[in-house]
Amino acid sequence: MEVLKALAIGALFGIGLYQLLRRNIIRSAIGLVILSNAVNLFLLSAGAYDGVVEAYAKATGQRSDALPQALILTAIVISLGGFAFVLSLLYVISARYRTGDSDEVKGLSG
Amino acid sequence: MLIVPLLACLLGVAASALFVLSPIGGRLSPRAMGWGLSIAPLSAFVSLLALSSSLAEGQAIAWRLAWLPELNIALAFYLDGLSLLFGLIVTGIGALVVIYAGYYFSPHHPAGAHGDQGAPQAEHTPGNDAHFFFYLLLFMTSMLGLVLAGDVIALFVFWEGTSLTSFLLIAYKSKDEEARKGAFKALFVTGAGGIALLAGLLFAAVISSSTDLATILRSGDLLRNHAWYPVMLALLAFGAFTKSAQAPFHFWLPKAMAAPTPASAYLHSATMVKAGVYLLARLHPALGNTEGWFWLMIIAGGTTMLLGALIGLRQSDLKGLLAYSTVSQLGALTMLIGEEAPSAFKALAIGILAHALYKGALFMIAGIVDHHAGSRDLRRLGGLWRAMPLTFAACSLAALSMAGLPPLFGFLAKETLLAAEMDAILPQLTRIVLPAITVLTGAGLLAQAASLTLDTFITRPGTGWPASACRAEHTAILPAHEAPLGMLIGPAVPAVLSLVISVFQPEAIISLLASAAGAAYGAKVKVSLELFQGITPPLVLSGVAIALGMVLFASRRAIRSPARIEGLDMNLAYEAVLRGVDRAARLATRTQGGRIRVYLSVILIALFALVALFGDLQRVLGADALRLDDALDVTGGLRLLGLLLAVAASFVSIVIRRDLLAIIALGSSGLAIAVVIALEPSPDVALVQAVVDVLTTVVLVLALSRLPRAQRLRAEALNNGSSVRHALLAVAGGALVTLICLYAFASRPRPSLVTPYYEQNAKPLTGAADIVGAIVVDFRGFDTLIEITVFSAAGMGVFTLIRHAMRKREAARLPVEGEVETASHLPILPAHISGVDGVRTSPFIRALAYAALPLAFVLATVQIIYGHDQPGDGFTAGVTLSLGVGFWYVVFGYERTRQRLGLIRPALLIGSSLLLVLGGSTLPLVLGGGFFSPFDFGAALNLPLPKGFYLSTSFLFEVAICLAVLGATMFIVDTLGYPERDLE
Repeated sequence: MEVLKALAIGALFGIGLYQLLRRNIIRSAIGLVILSNAVNLFLLSAGAYDGVVEAYAKATGQRSDALPQALILTAIVISLGGFAFVLSLLYVISARYRTGDSDEVKGLSG
Repeated sequence: MLIVPLLACLLGVAASALFVLSPIGGRLSPRAMGWGLSIAPLSAFVSLLALSSSLAEGQAIAWRLAWLPELNIALAFYLDGLSLLFGLIVTGIGALVVIYAGYYFSPHHPAGAHGDQGAPQAEHTPGNDAHFFFYLLLFMTSMLGLVLAGDVIALFVFWEGTSLTSFLLIAYKSKDEEARKGAFKALFVTGAGGIALLAGLLFAAVISSSTDLATILRSGDLLRNHAWYPVMLALLAFGAFTKSAQAPFHFWLPKAMAAPTPASAYLHSATMVKAGVYLLARLHPALGNTEGWFWLMIIAGGTTMLLGALIGLRQSDLKGLLAYSTVSQLGALTMLIGEEAPSAFKALAIGILAHALYKGALFMIAGIVDHHAGSRDLRRLGGLWRAMPLTFAACSLAALSMAGLPPLFGFLAKETLLAAEMDAILPQLTRIVLPAITVLTGAGLLAQAASLTLDTFITRPGTGWPASACRAEHTAILPAHEAPLGMLIGPAVPAVLSLVISVFQPEAIISLLASAAGAAYGAKVKVSLELFQGITPPLVLSGVAIALGMVLFASRRAIRSPARIEGLDMNLAYEAVLRGVDRAARLATRTQGGRIRVYLSVILIALFALVALFGDLQRVLGADALRLDDALDVTGGLRLLGLLLAVAASFVSIVIRRDLLAIIALGSSGLAIAVVIALEPSPDVALVQAVVDVLTTVVLVLALSRLPRAQRLRAEALNNGSSVRHALLAVAGGALVTLICLYAFASRPRPSLVTPYYEQNAKPLTGAADIVGAIVVDFRGFDTLIEITVFSAAGMGVFTLIRHAMRKREAARLPVEGEVETASHLPILPAHISGVDGVRTSPFIRALAYAALPLAFVLATVQIIYGHDQPGDGFTAGVTLSLGVGFWYVVFGYERTRQRLGLIRPALLIGSSLLLVLGGSTLPLVLGGGFFSPFDFGAALNLPLPKGFYLSTSFLFEVAICLAVLGATMFIVDTLGYPERDLE
């Protein structure tokens, strides 16, 4: 299970990277979301211990680690905010250069 | 109190800043400003004198103020004989220069016609000359701080301060290109030296494990025997040599003569250029007495000394000649530091004071001649003694000192210099070579001094020059008049002192020089100022130098003939360096292709390489703690399925051609991840993941719909292409992350330090059964507050970015109507065709939207109320509500949604949310708890509330989170949903 989970997270990460590197900026945005999903999944899985029940005070048995949960709960929301901001940046850039192709954005050329 | 002299100077800075900024400065004449501001250096001078009386023989006074206590760096000051000598020169000459500058900048009418260079009007910048005083006093403060600094970091800061203010002063006539170039050159050279100096000082500080100067001075053996000693010495010497214009870095000093003359007199002869000499003398007890030190100083100093004396005589500009003689004198001082005999340090102290006196005076005289005769070109000057008798008298006195003739102070300086060079402790070779070049230098300086006095005041114009160098019409004596008495104070005082000191030999001066020499030498040095000590070898050599100098002066015409080669010109090397820098910059920018994906690839490859090289990955590969033999139960199977779905859906988002479908695939992948998270089990996170995933999809679709159709299609066409390179990069990244995951998982399960605390205290301390919720709103409540603030800022950022850009474009497109076309003026379309992007929506979908919003509201309320003990929280509630509203945007379009949901104002929501958090978390403070501490208002007021509902601070916080998330998301949805006409 651990190995499979690691493989899945790695695959998600690789897919996210590939999308991020594509010319179509919408695909780059998609890649960003996949990347942050992969990272969140990793953080959640890397908690100190496995649980079989939810992290509630009244629950009995081995509870799953509450700390990474709380951290990625806020991380998910923050990445939504960041993603929206990146999207609007992409939008402004594509409106300025009149293209959805990141290779045609040449403002950084020396 | 050692800080008093510096404070006095700082007060002067403040006063001059006042003159610069306020209208008072415009009303005051420069003269009044000069006299008024001279109080600052004068009081610094007096307070230094007062301090010196408590300075015991060979002792030092220290004063320190904690500056960076973490790094053990202090703003420390240190006063001993050496700093006292420099401090007195800085403040004493400083006071005279400030007074002199007042006259220098006064409007006046020169008696003569305009000269072809350095005409007074050109020297005078229009506007308020209070700036000059401001820079000058700022320099004075830095310079005084430099010589008083007792901590090497403080010393460096003041050192750089003098470089920067020197730049401002040289470039003071900023309209003059030569001034700007000269200022840049000076800054470039001394700035490079400053960096080396810092490195060298840090070496010294690290080796002696203190930045305190006194400690470093005591760690001499440690420093000299350290393996890095040569590097440290080279760095420090580079810093000192650039500052003190030692060959081959001397070339900036003559170019710095573009500065107004008061600045040249002060910075570029009397004080700043001696900072390097000061530094070397200061560090000599710790770093000196080595072979390296000896040869470095002797060779650099000796070369500089001879070079300055020989080139100087060929200068036609009065200030240029003085600059080269300064270079020569600085070389002599550096050489003396290298000689390391007590006699050498005696000569050093005498030389520093003698040079400051006569050279300061001569520069000020050059300024007076320039002002009142209209030129400082030696080829045109001549015969001015009738018109300017007092100036002539002061000049003669100072020039006699410069020439090293008895009975002036300069004679003593030269005698002691020669005596030091013949000291028995020097190697045989140097005892012959050094006196020889000193005699040559002495001859050159005498010829220079004679030329600048006689060619200016006595002989007819052009006498000392080959006919080809002068123009025929310039043979008449320039009309001139005497300078005002106040202006003459500046040069007269030091010139007269040059005579008084050597004739009367005041005890105070002798002990001052002795303590300065002792501090630099590191042991007691005996100083006497006897003019005549019998027929000694130095006296004989002095005589030879004088005779040779007279010959040189007599043959100056031949020496100055243009046919002679100009010697090695370091300015060419300097320009080559600058060109090289430009070329390197062009080469560097050529690597910038502007392709974002290339940049990203480079960053990623570098990151992977770092992780692969230093990430200790072999430990992962060797780990066998991984539980491969897990029995696959039902939950495990479901997890596996979820993971498979997530990966498959993400993969589909790559291969599918249409962007909209890719977005939907992305949404499915996110939902599958939510399932995996729910099975963790962590229901709170799974809820948030699910709703945020849906919202992300909505936002992406809205953004996609905003792109112009043609542009969208063109971008979609790119999806067919695939790149092997990027695929490889992605596979490498994925593999690396897999390894990192394995590494992390291999250590599970392990004891957690933090989580058990939360688990045990969630219920007793916060009253929440949901431990995750307790961490978010109670234990780490402050984090969450900051987080919702950031989220709100992101929402507002989206709004500002897009709306702002849009308004600008609209204004550009419709210059007349641009302002009128706001949202309310858009035509309102019938409900059935007005979905997002003008897509028709079916009645079923519309009915669903009507139902969804109240449902979302109920869901949100339940989650907030019961989130304390059950899954769900403010984040989920906020996103759920936003989804309801976002649905409306998609179904009904922008206009109708704004009309019907006009009450939802994002800014209002965010503001009330933040106020609510602050109010809710401050209230317990009043009620006896702490800031952000949990407090149950419901229980405190005995309110009848349903079971499971607590009216507590965490409840208020959840509401606030919900409001903030809703507000920010509304900003995002509202902005992206705003219709804009196709741009193409």
